[in-house]
Amino acid sequence: MKEFNIVLAGVGGQGTLLAAEVIGSAAVRAGLNVRVSEIHGMAQRGGAVVSNVRIGENVLASTVLEGQADVLLGFEPLETVRNLRCASEKTLVMMNSQRIPPSELAANNSRYPSVEEVLAKIHVFTSKVVVVEAAELAKKAGNRLAQNSVLLGALAAVEGFPVKSESVVEALLELVPKKHVDVNVRAFELGRETVRKGRKRV
Amino acid sequence: MPDVKVLLQDAPGKRVLLLGNEAIARGILEAGVSVITTYPGTPASEIGDRVSEIASEAGLYMEYSTNEMVAVEVAAGAANCGVRALTAMKHVGLNVAADMLMTLAYTGVRGGYVIVTADDPECYSSQNEQDNRYYALLSNLPCLEPSNAQEAKEMTVYAVEISEKLELPVLLRTTTRVSHTRGPVAYGELKKPNLKGDFVRDVKRLVMVPANSRPKHEVLLRQAAKAKEMSEKSPYNKIVRKGMEIGVISSSSAYNCAFEAAVLLGLDAGILKLGMTHPLPEKMIAEFLNTHNRIVVVEELEPYLEMQVKAIAKDRAANTEVCGKMNVQYFPREGELTTRLVAAGLSKITSKKVPIDFQKIEKKYRAVVKGLPSRPPILCAGCPHRASFYVIKKVGGDRAVYPDDIGCYALGIAPPFGVGDIMICMGASVGTAQGISRVTGRDTVATIGDSTFFHAGIPGLVNAVYNGSRIVVAVLDNLATAMTGHQPHPGTGVTGMQNPAERILIEKIAEGCGVRYVRVVNPFRTKEASAVLKEALQQSGPSVVVFRAPCTLMDAREKRRRGVEAVPARITEKCTNCMACIRLLGCPAIVVEEGKVRIDENSCAACGLCVSVCPYGALEGSCAE
Repeated sequence: MKEFNIVLAGVGGQGTLLAAEVIGSAAVRAGLNVRVSEIHGMAQRGGAVVSNVRIGENVLASTVLEGQADVLLGFEPLETVRNLRCASEKTLVMMNSQRIPPSELAANNSRYPSVEEVLAKIHVFTSKVVVVEAAELAKKAGNRLAQNSVLLGALAAVEGFPVKSESVVEALLELVPKKHVDVNVRAFELGRETVRKGRKRV
Repeated sequence: MPDVKVLLQDAPGKRVLLLGNEAIARGILEAGVSVITTYPGTPASEIGDRVSEIASEAGLYMEYSTNEMVAVEVAAGAANCGVRALTAMKHVGLNVAADMLMTLAYTGVRGGYVIVTADDPECYSSQNEQDNRYYALLSNLPCLEPSNAQEAKEMTVYAVEISEKLELPVLLRTTTRVSHTRGPVAYGELKKPNLKGDFVRDVKRLVMVPANSRPKHEVLLRQAAKAKEMSEKSPYNKIVRKGMEIGVISSSSAYNCAFEAAVLLGLDAGILKLGMTHPLPEKMIAEFLNTHNRIVVVEELEPYLEMQVKAIAKDRAANTEVCGKMNVQYFPREGELTTRLVAAGLSKITSKKVPIDFQKIEKKYRAVVKGLPSRPPILCAGCPHRASFYVIKKVGGDRAVYPDDIGCYALGIAPPFGVGDIMICMGASVGTAQGISRVTGRDTVATIGDSTFFHAGIPGLVNAVYNGSRIVVAVLDNLATAMTGHQPHPGTGVTGMQNPAERILIEKIAEGCGVRYVRVVNPFRTKEASAVLKEALQQSGPSVVVFRAPCTLMDAREKRRRGVEAVPARITEKCTNCMACIRLLGCPAIVVEEGKVRIDENSCAACGLCVSVCPYGALEGSCAE
């Protein structure tokens, strides 16, 4: 395996950092080398949050080079667009459809870009896009907040993702608070199923 | 991380994913460090926080000190009784502790003592991006620079060892990318802590009157020479890649980028990786210089290594060209380095082409994000600072000047409040307010947080009383060091050992300092708080108004624990969509959809501030008025 680069982009409070840690922990369980990079502090206050996960024997640097992401895992449409710099035609953009309007919109009385607009922007970089209805699936799993686990499941089903789903689930079990474990595992499975089915259709 | 107890596992060889800072906490346990002091600050906070969570079980002493200076003093006291100690802080914290550092270098220590300075290239969460390696040069103390989590752990142990051998404090310098990057860490053996010290009176060594300082300066220089020998043999200074085209010298996270950039460009580059960057291994570097025609120094921020490498070259390798950022600037001197920036620099130097068209990517990216709504950090829904700023702006208007301080409340500069006119460093709001008030005669309201007040606000307040400055000090007391992760402080009644403590009240301190007008208000009672602030502004001398309400994140956690449900505010039919709530508060829980105001029930914290301010009484919900 050469290396596998993932950029996770979301909003403070969505569990982006936790998801990145789960991937990293799963990679270590699988005996792989990994770097998980995050920015704390100011970013926590409802601001944009980005995590970089790089898996591979020779990986040293913390962040994914421009255009070199294998997967851009977008937890929110606007934040997905904001991080397209890491994408190129080889990148799979996997995006949660759930919007979180920034408060700037209310203050300026401006509008959130439409799904078509967001997709058009992504298509400038890559045609490989999967939209995940993570909020719906998380709700189905038992808790709207488990969207990050849905997205992790979706990521685990991506071709070439170098860590087995079992390792990701093990890491989830360890990192998610005990009382939320069942919901999150269900959410993970739902996310994984969706992408698998989607792939068959293609 | 999973359960923090993972750090305590006696399992040599086990591989765990740890944050750089967590790895340092593990290093503390493997080095037998027994006294840990800190003042929280991004990107250093998790070191102290993780230790705080395990200290009593591990048999350590841990404290959140009032500031970095005190933290170093406490640890230095313990280390001079033979106990191993460590102090963790963010880079600017070392400015606060610098007075202690510079002369502690003379007295030295008996037990190993490590000062972790976590630098913040790119100012991700700091007011500047100073390069603290210069403190090593300035103080003559050894400095280590890990490049990943594994090294962060190992070098913590190594730092303690060399500190004890040299009887000098050792600096362990990380950066945001080292402290806040997770990587696999292989555990070593745990070492039993020893908290029992003995103080041996040794006036010549420990009392720095001039007659003792002069000979101790000589001792320091002798020890620094020994440190240089250690650096020559250090396992952390080594050639990690052989190549003849160019020689690269690098350290810390810049090394990671340099290595990957060399691979990207297909450069036949030799790489000398430096983990001990003060004193530098002069002979090793000279040899590296002499085996390459061209040397590139790749480092973040200042040309700290480059300057010294050039001095070495002048003496020992006159024919080798050394470049980096000093004369021709191949790498930026500001911000953090990335593989892309390093590749660009190396490409200019070697004429090797970068295989990725970054400019094209950047052009496409600029086009795609043009006009994209931004999402800057904002005060949380329910944040008591929002109420305080509302009151302060309402009373002080555009008439007053608002010196500001370091913490979440720095976000008061953003719309709709715009409270924050000068912000420089911890505690500076109180002092700068006095200068401004003195020469302009304008109303001046300094806003400072509770933890910051304890850290550095008190001397400024004493000054205001002593010199009769007409200022209002608004202490925004949310009962925690909130920005960095809700650490306790002297006003919270809890210690770093998680034991109960004497609660020190800010209003009592203010009274003790001689402030005549001291009041405590609940910021959510906006009418009462406004009346008090008006009165405070009418005083002829300094006044202190403590705006006290717990951080909403802590409050919500506490309410969840007690099973108390927060009932979101509700908009009634009286709403005229006048947008006053939006204009006045900028609360993320109040959104506009199709021209209509709506409360986002998922984020509303039920603080009731919008209920207070609505001119039509159109909002219903709990309200403190």
